[in-house]
Amino acid sequence: MKDEREIPVLRRQLHRLGMSVTEADPEQIIDRKIAVDVIILDADSFSIESDATTALMADVPVIALIGTETPSRLKWLLELRPASFLIKPLRSAGLYTALVVAFDCTLRRIEAAAHIEKLQDRIRSRRVVFNAVLRLMRAHALSEEDAFKLIRRTAMRHRTTIEQLSADIVARGGMPNRGSRTA
Amino acid sequence: MTRPSIPLGLVFSRSGPYAMMGREMEKSALMAVDEVNQSEEFDFIFTPHLRDPGGVVPAYHTACDDLIRETKTEHIVGCYTSASRKMVIPIVERTERLLWHPARYEGFESSDNVIYVGAAPNHTVVPLVRHMLEHIASDVFCAGSNYVWTWETNRVLREIVTSAGGRILAERLLELGETAVDHIVSEIIERRPPAVFNTLVGESSYAFMRALHEASARVGLSIPMLSCSLCEPELKMIGAAASVGCVTSSAYFESVGGAENHAFVARWKARHGADSVVSVDSQSTYVCVMLLARAIRRAGSTAVTAVRRAAANHRYDSPQGPVWVDPDNNHCFLTPRLARSVPGCQFRIFWEADAPERPDPYLSNLDLAAIGEKLVKRIDAVGKRPTHLRVVK
Repeated sequence: MKDEREIPVLRRQLHRLGMSVTEADPEQIIDRKIAVDVIILDADSFSIESDATTALMADVPVIALIGTETPSRLKWLLELRPASFLIKPLRSAGLYTALVVAFDCTLRRIEAAAHIEKLQDRIRSRRVVFNAVLRLMRAHALSEEDAFKLIRRTAMRHRTTIEQLSADIVARGGMPNRGSRTA
Repeated sequence: MTRPSIPLGLVFSRSGPYAMMGREMEKSALMAVDEVNQSEEFDFIFTPHLRDPGGVVPAYHTACDDLIRETKTEHIVGCYTSASRKMVIPIVERTERLLWHPARYEGFESSDNVIYVGAAPNHTVVPLVRHMLEHIASDVFCAGSNYVWTWETNRVLREIVTSAGGRILAERLLELGETAVDHIVSEIIERRPPAVFNTLVGESSYAFMRALHEASARVGLSIPMLSCSLCEPELKMIGAAASVGCVTSSAYFESVGGAENHAFVARWKARHGADSVVSVDSQSTYVCVMLLARAIRRAGSTAVTAVRRAAANHRYDSPQGPVWVDPDNNHCFLTPRLARSVPGCQFRIFWEADAPERPDPYLSNLDLAAIGEKLVKRIDAVGKRPTHLRVVK
């Protein structure tokens, strides 16, 4: 934060919401690894030359306070990926909405990232699944379709994923023993 | 018969980092106030109330708050930097007052409680860049102060230049007030760019222009420089040799022709001394007070709503030529001009628009394609085409 007039408004309102506040200079925010739930920063107090992406900690929502609406400033702001924003001067109204939107936005962002990670895992293990299907086709003289059905059925019975079971098949060189469960 | 007195707030920094400009603007406001008060044309007088925020941003808030409480003024003329204006806007909006803002700024703002009398970006940076592309170069080296005016001006420059097939060779920024300029000067001398775009302000700019002039002279170089903020009092401070030859964009120069300006400059020099000079910002401050006085006379009231309505589209033949407020965005129709700084701390105007141009604070009417097309024609005429422009036959 830097804008002296905005700080008392923020403090008062955050206190009413039962939040505790730590103040940090814009220059320090990058170095300080303090555990916080949300960062509120005055966008006007940073040079647009500063690297916006280093200013934020992963998974901590950032609420940007905006005074100057020039495209050069807004471009910098987008790099920061703010979860929400408020236009200066601050009033007592608006902060609560900004916080709710920021937390929700960050939660959705984390969920989306996890979902993407899962999908990428699945894409990565396509080769393994293909490999397992081939092995079963050869070992049991099955069609591709039947081999895949067998893997899917067994995975369901073992309460594991197709990808995990395929990895086990490839590692063991065949279908794992009945009853054994993979984590 | 005594005429009723109307309180008028004047907020200028007579001290602090841009005190020189603040003092010039205040002098001009007071000159306009005296002229209104001595004129039979107005059935009221202004009582000026002066405040000096000393260039301290939060002090502008205090100064205006104080003015509105103490003097009950409905109109304030003042501010210089965007930071100071942003500090004042919440108060004038909350208390329904009008701020008459004399200085040019980077645009992207439009408050119902501000009358923007200074130039919008379409009046300053756009004609300058167009001129550069058509007559000087399509590649440019940028040196500027690290704050919003430079950031936004350079962004517009980049947008126009790159869309026309040119390049920004470098963008070097200095902290406000920094006078250690040697590294930038050395880089320019080494790289020899075809043009330098200077958005440095105050002492940084003066130091830069002196150092670049000296270094260029040593190696026999002459690199064209462009500015959209240089003004007459600054030429004096930079010095006779180094201040010459800068292509400058502004809505006003002391050398503007016409009876209105000749009379204005004569009155100015009679009041402030023969060796004093008028700058774009002091002239604009004068225009602020005159636009306000005329709007009050027309409205028959000082009430903000009535004055704003009366000011809209009401032409005033000012020293800089006809000026009127565009009610669409509260900015002014102004005549853009380009000039070259010449010996004697003056500017020689070599281009001006045929008529006052509609203000476009959000550059929503900027036609990049038209600028690019003209440039391609110029390059064709020279018989040379930049390789990155694809030729389709």
